[in-house]
Amino acid sequence: MIEVEKLSKTFTVHKKAPGLVGSLKSLFVREKIEKQAVKGVDLQVGEGEILGLVGANGAGKTTLVKMLAGIIHPSAGSARVLGFTPWERRNEFRRRIALVMGQKAQLWWDLPAADSFLLLKEIYRVPDDQFEESLNELVDMLGARDQLNIQLRRLSLGERMKMELIATLLHRPRVVFLDYPTIGLDLTAQRAIRDFILAYREKHKPAMILTSHYMEDIERLCERIVIIREGEFVYDGALSQVKHAYATQKVIVAHLARENGRCEVSEAILEDGAILDEEAQTLRYEVPREQVAEAAARVLAECRIHDLAIEEMDIGTVIERIFQERGEVRA
Amino acid sequence: MTPRLFLQIVSLEARTKFSYRVDFWINTVVGFSVELFVAWFLWKAVFEASGAELIGGRTFPQMVVYVIAAVLLGKFAIGRDFEGTISGDIYEGGLNRYLLFPANYVGVKYAQQLGRMVPLVVQVLLFGAFVVPLLGVAGEFKLSFGSVAMAMVALAVSNLLNFLMVFPLQATAFWADNVWSLMVAQRIVGSILGGFLLPLSVFPDAMRTTLEYLPWRFFYDFPARVMLGEIGFAEWLPGMALALGWCVVFRFLGRAVWNRGLYQYSGVGI
Repeated sequence: MIEVEKLSKTFTVHKKAPGLVGSLKSLFVREKIEKQAVKGVDLQVGEGEILGLVGANGAGKTTLVKMLAGIIHPSAGSARVLGFTPWERRNEFRRRIALVMGQKAQLWWDLPAADSFLLLKEIYRVPDDQFEESLNELVDMLGARDQLNIQLRRLSLGERMKMELIATLLHRPRVVFLDYPTIGLDLTAQRAIRDFILAYREKHKPAMILTSHYMEDIERLCERIVIIREGEFVYDGALSQVKHAYATQKVIVAHLARENGRCEVSEAILEDGAILDEEAQTLRYEVPREQVAEAAARVLAECRIHDLAIEEMDIGTVIERIFQERGEVRA
Repeated sequence: MTPRLFLQIVSLEARTKFSYRVDFWINTVVGFSVELFVAWFLWKAVFEASGAELIGGRTFPQMVVYVIAAVLLGKFAIGRDFEGTISGDIYEGGLNRYLLFPANYVGVKYAQQLGRMVPLVVQVLLFGAFVVPLLGVAGEFKLSFGSVAMAMVALAVSNLLNFLMVFPLQATAFWADNVWSLMVAQRIVGSILGGFLLPLSVFPDAMRTTLEYLPWRFFYDFPARVMLGEIGFAEWLPGMALALGWCVVFRFLGRAVWNRGLYQYSGVGI
């Protein structure tokens, strides 16, 4: 449903020196800088798939999504979404895609969401019976019926995001871009949105691309992820394989007996690995995967340990390290 | 864009504007009063200082009537709260939403602009009903069905012309960070050259002839004089043709600027 080949985007930005002198100078001369936000990426996403697009701020995630949604033109390369070239902005294309912008409200601020939905029905030319069916289905899935007729600006952030999701999916798009759909929401609201996205995917099987900084979003929703760093894909594959590809360490969590002296324990641990986290009576430290048995035996032998656990590194930490290092694409 | 969608956008915008009740009343009372009373005092001072009975072919009460007509009808031509909307969409990223919609952006914005004018109709009627008797010039208004009908058509075309004229100016926001000063300049030039407070009849002949071929007079001077019966059908018809010609020119210009700007749009805000 989505096919991308060697897609690139370069922005020209103006640079201005700080202070009043810089401002005055910029009235006459401005320095231009070219910033390559996306560098020749290839991608395929199929029906019913939720692809997680993961990367640090400024990595190029949203730029890629904006190109695939047809908001901006690429500098080079090609993309086909549902057989259309997105930036040609054909109405038939726009009727079949949707973009949820978690950082930007799309609905009319001063009106109840129900009024906006009626307008969207006309914009997307949704037949009456399909509109009723879609609206009822989405409202029930999100438990949002009571908020439909309240002015949007009087709703909480979580309630507003539910309305945004309803608005975005009313026309039953075949491709959905979810750009930070849970940003700023509390844990309960985040969970509700995730459950909804999964249920919606199960029922309608659209292709979805999700960008998020919340690892729980990625872990819960995506089987496949693409890690993007400085505009390039550094990993494209199964989420479960990221750990095998990149996590060369394991984490030992040692709950100490009360009489243990911290220095004594730390010395024992530091021979094997690096301390990640140190709380009262609990130490988390990482050791090379192949030395984990030996390190666990050592800490049990040399320190008074109340409890011990060996864990995989969490996906967030693994991905964070990938952001920081440089390397070849793996899959 | 379907007529039904067009009307729905008009209705939605009108409801949004009506939801700001305080703004509605402040605009009705203060916004209109300032413009009208400034013009009234200005012309009173000019007539008294000059001692002339006629200026630009008008007596003082006729001048007041012209100013009332130009100020009130000009509101319909110029629209309301429209100037910053397109440029705002561009540099704040609101445009992203519209680019996703399977609907023509120009049509959507024009419908929104019309919707925002619905409260204006109520305001003009309320204010006109109050101020015309107050200024003692009710007897000077000699309206006929024909002049009112022609003025309505002229206002519709003027409104479209203003929209199409402002569109390419606002679209320069693709390149400029802020186009507010450009819009202010356009408003000032339009007010002076369009006959907002000064009827075009007070300008020298050569300048007046030139101004009659330019687009700005369709915002104030033309609809006001049509409404007051000073322009008959024989002059109205070529005037409308000229205004529509300007519409075509600005539509082509707007499309060229828009397409070029959109090509380099960076989709800020998300």
